Amino acid sequence: MTVTSADGAGPVQEVLVDDVAPAARDRARPGLLGWIPRLVVWAGLAYVVLVLPLGRSAIDVQTFTRAACYAIVALSLNVLLGYVGQISLGHAAFVGIGAFMSAYMMTVQGQSFWVGVLAAAGIGAAQALVLGGVSLRIRGLYFALVTLAYGLVAEQNIFQIASFTGGGAGQRAPKPDWFESEWRYYYLCLAFLALVLFLDWRLMKTKGGRALLALRENPRVASTFGINVRMATLFAFVVSGTFAGLAGALIAHNDLSVSADVWNFNLSLVFIIMTVVGGLRSRYGLVIGGAFFALMPYLLHQIPGLENGLSKIPAPFDLTPELAPLVIGPLLLLVNLIQFPGGIGQQVRPVARWLGGHRFDPHDRGLKEVQITDVRA
Amino acid sequence: MEALGARRGLLISAAVVVALVVALFVWNQEQALVIGVLTGSAYGLVALGLVLVYKSSGVFNFAQGEFGGVALVTLYLLHGNGIPYGLAVVGALLAAILVGVLAEFIVVRPLFEAPRVTLLVASAGVALLAIAIQVWFFDSQGRSIAKAFNRTDRLTVLDVQIADQRLWLIATLVLLAVVLGLFFTRSDLGLAVVGASQEPTATELVGISVRRLSTFTWALAALLGGLAAVIAVPHNASFTPGVMTSVYLIPAFTAAVLGGMTSLPGAIVGGVLVGILQSVATSAPIFQDGGALAIPGTPGTLIVFVVLVAVLVVKPSGLLGKVA
Repeated sequence: MTVTSADGAGPVQEVLVDDVAPAARDRARPGLLGWIPRLVVWAGLAYVVLVLPLGRSAIDVQTFTRAACYAIVALSLNVLLGYVGQISLGHAAFVGIGAFMSAYMMTVQGQSFWVGVLAAAGIGAAQALVLGGVSLRIRGLYFALVTLAYGLVAEQNIFQIASFTGGGAGQRAPKPDWFESEWRYYYLCLAFLALVLFLDWRLMKTKGGRALLALRENPRVASTFGINVRMATLFAFVVSGTFAGLAGALIAHNDLSVSADVWNFNLSLVFIIMTVVGGLRSRYGLVIGGAFFALMPYLLHQIPGLENGLSKIPAPFDLTPELAPLVIGPLLLLVNLIQFPGGIGQQVRPVARWLGGHRFDPHDRGLKEVQITDVRA
Repeated sequence: MEALGARRGLLISAAVVVALVVALFVWNQEQALVIGVLTGSAYGLVALGLVLVYKSSGVFNFAQGEFGGVALVTLYLLHGNGIPYGLAVVGALLAAILVGVLAEFIVVRPLFEAPRVTLLVASAGVALLAIAIQVWFFDSQGRSIAKAFNRTDRLTVLDVQIADQRLWLIATLVLLAVVLGLFFTRSDLGLAVVGASQEPTATELVGISVRRLSTFTWALAALLGGLAAVIAVPHNASFTPGVMTSVYLIPAFTAAVLGGMTSLPGAIVGGVLVGILQSVATSAPIFQDGGALAIPGTPGTLIVFVVLVAVLVVKPSGLLGKVA
């Protein structure tokens, strides 16, 4: 039996399916002609991400930068929620403390931006180490509760330390030298996002990362094979905290100042929603999910006529673009949980696989791999 | 063995309460005790709903607070439009029940077989949606809300005046504790709910619809959440969207965990304990500015967090519960 290459663009390849294992068939690479449409799409994506922002106003670019930062937050939560199956309902605290740490190091201690970012990532890791060290023997629902209470402690105690947070006016967070312009800072944040993506990818290949994957599959089997469940979970928590602190620092310098009242429970929920809607364990899905939630107010402003249309609806029903993510987000989450457990990542997987040089297979949903339902209680 | 464990838990909590009371009298902080019992009973009321849902479906229901939020908004709207207070309260409770049933139909049913953490995320989504809709229809401003009883000087305990609204709260709590206790041990419906939580398959086998029971439980929990909100919040005379989640939900969860997550009297005792701890933390000089252990911001939050972690690490089954 013979097959032809499905996307039609590449040269016809004849493969004896019966003789080749599915994995080997999957590895069939496209020829030169097959790469051309792929490269066009890649170039289009690069244009949208790298070049398109150049023409926009500084305020718009700030929004795009925030999208990159939210993507890092989504990747951070994914380490916990996607790889280990533990849920953090207080992630706004980790991000917020990172933001304040970096701003504090720069404004009060007079350190450079890079020291501030390192300190933010460090405090993220330290918090995770302490909180995880104390409470990771608590698993599942109870751990979620502990993180939720911790988020509240950050909101009502830690963020009330005026010398740390600058009191009601907030802490100033200037942009680093040479990156003062919004555009340069945008590319800096994209570089950090790329770094986090790379770290996430490499960490999952280390012994600790593979231990996590084994743990997710079946904790009992994993511990039979000598994996220290607590240490592996703590490792994931620390990685997650580091990423969150880093994202917080980047958000702080993007906004030029940090105030205490943003880092609340609602934000923690938005973080979880964008992670789940993005798609657990799907890096591109998570990036899209994070960026989507950060950009939602902006996108709603962009749709021509929508703003006018929305404001024409009589008074109590006029949904402002700022409020829209709070209303649309939970709806998306519920649809997601009930109908499409793999999130955006599952939906775009065929395209992403095709871009990576595989055949276009519209039925490839990777369902076995991506399921929120294997988050354990 | 189990009974022995429960009795020991009871002894421990009794000892903790006695120690706290003695310490408070020694420090001349007995007012904190009364205030703590009053706020704690509100936590207990919210915790009752949490325990109820956990008992029957094993879910940590993060939307429990916002059932109350919906009730508050309804009470505000109805009473603001000239409907008598009593009718407005009934309307508010009906709205809360409606939201509870809706949440059960839209979220819990499709996820009946899903892991409990998925349901936790889903219930948190319901809470956020409820808050967002409240902000959408109003804004995040505080609104003043009328009380059922306005007299405040009827009763004075240890130099603390207890407002009638608070007396109503305590009366409701005690009444509910007795009624729910009888309901779960004496009535067929209550026994069916307990059975469904312990052995769903066996319950189905004897001809009881576990799914219909689930709807009933969520409606009952929503009613409790609504009651907690319309009785406890008007004491502070104003409410903002999400107040039930940000102010009441965490202490209530701590209370439920203290009580072992499955015990209804445990939830009430836990609520009162958390309330006392919080008010001690707020008034004790040692935690104030300049004290030896000064806590910035709201000391009560930190104390509740420490207690929660300590209980979960040292005795995960809670003080009164059997199995967490």
